[in-house]
Amino acid sequence: MRPLANANPESLADAVERLERGGGRAAAIGGGSDLLGMIKDDLASPDVLVSLRALAASDGLDAIVPGPAELRVGGLVTLARLSAHPEVASRYRVLAEAAGSAATPQIRNVATLAGNLCQRPWCWYFRQNFPCYKHGGNRCFSRTGENQFNAIFGGAPSYIVHPSDAAPALVALDARFRLVGPGGERVVPAGAFFTLPRVDVTRENVLEPNEILADVTVPAAPGLRSTYAKVLDREAWTHAVVSVALALQLEDDRVRRAGVVLGGVAPVPWRVAAVEDLLAGRAVTESLAAEAGRLAVDGARPLPKNRYKVPLVENLVRRTLLSLAGSGQDPRQELAP
Amino acid sequence: MKSVSRRTFLKSSAAVTAATTLPSARAPLGAQSSPADSPPRSTITLTVNGVRRTVEVEDRWTLAELIRDHLDLTGTKIGCDRGECGACTVHLDGDPVYSCSQLAVWADGRAVSTVEGLADSGRLDPLQEAFVAGDGPQCGFCTSGQLMAARAVVAATPNPTEEEVREGMAGNICRCSNYNRYVAAVLGRPPERATARDPLSVVGQGRPRIDAVERVTGAARYTGDVKLPGMAYARVLRSPHPHARIAAIDTRRAREMPGVYAVLTRENCDTVWRSGDRQNPRYLFNNPVRFVGDPVAAVAAVDRHAAEAALQAIEVGYEPLDFVLDPEEALQPGAVEIQPGGNLSRRRDGEALPDVYQRGDVETGFDAADVVVEETYVSKHHSNAQMEPRSAVAHWEGDRLTLWTPTQGISNCRRDMAGDLGLPPEQVRVVCEYMGGGFGNKNQCQDADLIAALLAREAGRPVKLELTRKDDFLGVHGRWPTVQHYKAGAARDGTLQAIRLRGYSGMGPHRKSGGGIAGIELFRCPNVRREVSPVYTNMTVAANFRGPAYPQGVWGIESVMDQVAHELSIDPVDFHLRNLTRAFNDETPYTSWALRECLTEGADRFGWAARWRRAGTRAGPLRRGVGMAIGMFAARLGRSSAVLRLEGGRLFLHVGVTDIGTAAKTAMAQLAAEAMGMDLADVTVVWGDTDRCPYSVGESGSRTTTHTGHAILEAAEDLKRQMAATDGDGPIESRTLIAQATPEPVLDGLARYASAAHFTEVEVDTELGGIRVLEYLAMHESGRIVNPLTAESQVKGGVTMGIGMALHEELIYDRLTGIPVNPGYYGARVMTHLDAPEIEVRFIEPDDAYGPYGAKNVGEPPIIPVVAAIGNAVFNATGRRIRELPMTRDRVLEALA
Repeated sequence: MRPLANANPESLADAVERLERGGGRAAAIGGGSDLLGMIKDDLASPDVLVSLRALAASDGLDAIVPGPAELRVGGLVTLARLSAHPEVASRYRVLAEAAGSAATPQIRNVATLAGNLCQRPWCWYFRQNFPCYKHGGNRCFSRTGENQFNAIFGGAPSYIVHPSDAAPALVALDARFRLVGPGGERVVPAGAFFTLPRVDVTRENVLEPNEILADVTVPAAPGLRSTYAKVLDREAWTHAVVSVALALQLEDDRVRRAGVVLGGVAPVPWRVAAVEDLLAGRAVTESLAAEAGRLAVDGARPLPKNRYKVPLVENLVRRTLLSLAGSGQDPRQELAP
Repeated sequence: MKSVSRRTFLKSSAAVTAATTLPSARAPLGAQSSPADSPPRSTITLTVNGVRRTVEVEDRWTLAELIRDHLDLTGTKIGCDRGECGACTVHLDGDPVYSCSQLAVWADGRAVSTVEGLADSGRLDPLQEAFVAGDGPQCGFCTSGQLMAARAVVAATPNPTEEEVREGMAGNICRCSNYNRYVAAVLGRPPERATARDPLSVVGQGRPRIDAVERVTGAARYTGDVKLPGMAYARVLRSPHPHARIAAIDTRRAREMPGVYAVLTRENCDTVWRSGDRQNPRYLFNNPVRFVGDPVAAVAAVDRHAAEAALQAIEVGYEPLDFVLDPEEALQPGAVEIQPGGNLSRRRDGEALPDVYQRGDVETGFDAADVVVEETYVSKHHSNAQMEPRSAVAHWEGDRLTLWTPTQGISNCRRDMAGDLGLPPEQVRVVCEYMGGGFGNKNQCQDADLIAALLAREAGRPVKLELTRKDDFLGVHGRWPTVQHYKAGAARDGTLQAIRLRGYSGMGPHRKSGGGIAGIELFRCPNVRREVSPVYTNMTVAANFRGPAYPQGVWGIESVMDQVAHELSIDPVDFHLRNLTRAFNDETPYTSWALRECLTEGADRFGWAARWRRAGTRAGPLRRGVGMAIGMFAARLGRSSAVLRLEGGRLFLHVGVTDIGTAAKTAMAQLAAEAMGMDLADVTVVWGDTDRCPYSVGESGSRTTTHTGHAILEAAEDLKRQMAATDGDGPIESRTLIAQATPEPVLDGLARYASAAHFTEVEVDTELGGIRVLEYLAMHESGRIVNPLTAESQVKGGVTMGIGMALHEELIYDRLTGIPVNPGYYGARVMTHLDAPEIEVRFIEPDDAYGPYGAKNVGEPPIIPVVAAIGNAVFNATGRRIRELPMTRDRVLEALA
């Protein structure tokens, strides 16, 4: 590994300042599961790692704070803690399930929520250091290559899929991300945090240089029933072949509001608004679920080796909708005092 | 210029300081130094296995690096260095983490515990005891990580369910695939049956491995754990091109870097690695380079970071050449010539023609057939992916070389090393105390061994060469991919009339081993033509991997046979009973023939007759189906040696085994104890060192028990004669007697084979494309089973590994660039705890009077029928056959579309 310095900041502001001082040669690091491997593979070459875990106790960055109006999760909360948190598991099951489905127990013990959301693509070509768009090149090798795991939506010009499991869950829950940077802080909706390659092909989100994803806030949703369904190509330690995050607010068995977001199909968590609209105001039946499945893949533009993702997504959406609607999951509304 | 940091005041020479010299205060802020001059360092205080330690570390060191290299706790292993395998699992404040993916500085102020901390003053932890009794470790390389993961599961949930155990251990890969054993041990379920059908006093008794304690405590020393004074670390620069001429190579900058001791390239090293290619000269550094991963240069430096930096400073000018990946394409006119003389590798007689086996006349047979099936099967490059990457430590004392290396055969490795280095064999000592699997890619010597030796000579100091996980996937070898075109015909009553195979094996650019496609010989058939072309391609080199020519070949032929049976509406088991081989190639009688018994007993036990229904008759999204397949593997006899030394009443058994994970050492000790009428506890095995052990055939071809076992029995006869002859010389404890034997037993013109029949039920999710193995029964005939406990582990592991080959694994190449895109455990989708079903194992034990106590072999047979059985079950469930491996969701859904 190339030489690098570890820096332990004292506060979020200090961390931002250190990143700025690094002049592009410093990188923020949380659990390290992604970035450290990238450094070993020469996919990233920071001189300074600003270790955010030094901030665990400050700025509430490792806190899970359930409240009556919202749930706040610090960016440094590990996936293991998030998935095991009783309030999260009961009120925002999709988030607990998504966090618990990532990678392996060892990784979940150190991987942070912010790191999971900001991890780089796991496209084979990117990870093998092909000179693709993401590495400053001028093409996407997956488009004509081994694209079985690549995007069927939103692909051009890069066809990566967003690898985070937590991301579709948070988009489905209408979460907001608080970003802290040199210019202060700003809050963006989860759906607007992730960006398509046609906007900026070199990155996957709107984080500015030296900006840090500090925490995530999820609004309370009365009558919420939610789940995360992930299809893998082995049962552990793969990113989603495809996945769906479903968040249904129910009222007398009718869907008042639906969040339907796909993973593993696009360079961003892929919200299917047409399906959300379809479900609104209706009770989930076999035929409605089938229609939702069909609508979810409307407009898909698969590559030669990932056509199978189209029926896969269609079936997954239909099956997950039916099982969630019929699950009898307790849509607990109120927080215990 | 650096900003002010206490780091800059710390001496950079002493890696680890005494616990008292430095306070544990964190380094001051503002460490924005440029790392160009000396790598930034920090002083940290952490608790390791309960002991508080203050150490100075380089900021870039991983926790694994600190623990292994600087705290000398080598029980923690590095299998991938990327958080993809789990071998490096330790606890950080009680939680399991991958220590390869944590920086050591991040452990400041925290508590680390490793496998060495599990045993309490020599008393094993209950989990360690359960792993010993339940045969958890095979090769043992993943075991420390498995233990640490299991420890966390049990700490969180004192009485976990099976699901909780599997979930908790999901991040720990075991390539020996002993998942069933690990889970059972954690659940406190002792092995069910551990006795052979007809046990003798030691042979036939299920015994824990004689070295099991070493394997569960981290005490077992693997090559990577060897550390010598002044030792340098080496790395290999590899070609990024599938085929290119090296126009220029400039190593000047690398040589001038501080801490660099030696640089080798083709310009200063023209050593030929003869066991790396049996037909063409394969240099350690080739020009042209012929596959991505072909070594271009090697560097030895003061530490591995310096070696890596030096690699990056080597400038290589490549002139890319055309390349070809597919074996059939490689034989097309106009294809780029990879080796002089063309891409068809020559036969033994030197002719550039396919290997042909023929009996009868297939055209006559097809004319006589009522049903003819013509199909093509495509199998892929399948990486051995053993947990321990190839590594070597070379140390010269004058003209004498000592080489620590994970090899399946110390004798062969020494012979090859000496030959390639131009030394008399006695000038080379090869040591392999423990090795972390291999499955065929640690046969004989590897280029890494030679490179380490040459670097050490050049550097004038010991050198440790470690292949990275990616190096190991690309630079060693995997199973050869094949294209198999079959035509088979049978009469209406199901009797086979003719089988024809035209097959192509992609060997990569070197002929390292056979390249056959085996399996047709499992069937009796009057007319057979098998034509196989081993072809040079620009993929990574392919050679031996567990049952080398069989799993892919048996998948092809057994799928075709299943199809023939289907078209004739005959139950596959009945079809097999009608067409089973009775003599090898319908010609050479077997010493014993239990294939029919495997099939009938297995079918009964599985309930085949009641469960089999015609293919494609299931409906619904989840469709279940059953499948079966058979397999055989040669259990030949041959030359090997053993020395028995009786001293002080104790029996010392000197055998040149290394124990790749099969429990070979234990089996050898059992055979010796049985032959001498002693207890297993009275036998000490001396192994794995050419200075202390006689010739051994090597642990390849599943030969150890039959070859070396024979030598033990013969030496024991001699020793007993000596004991009788010296009977009057006082008590046995006072005599030292030595016997040795190097027999060459023969088979009297017979064929000797182990047999197997496998039965499985799978569930295919026709909507999501997933295949789940619900039930698996492996019926095996391997003669008498020497150690039923460890033999059953072998079968469970072989089957599980085969399931991975069937469902997940493939080294995938980008067609445009010829670069592999998924080397490593993450990309290869190697089986995990969550993928591994329970494998039921049964042995049939005839005694053919040929092997030691009638023993045959167990290592390779289990993987042979697996892909075929699963493929046939998928066909039975869905009515669709997947003719390209692996059977991933994309292929399942496309087949069903």
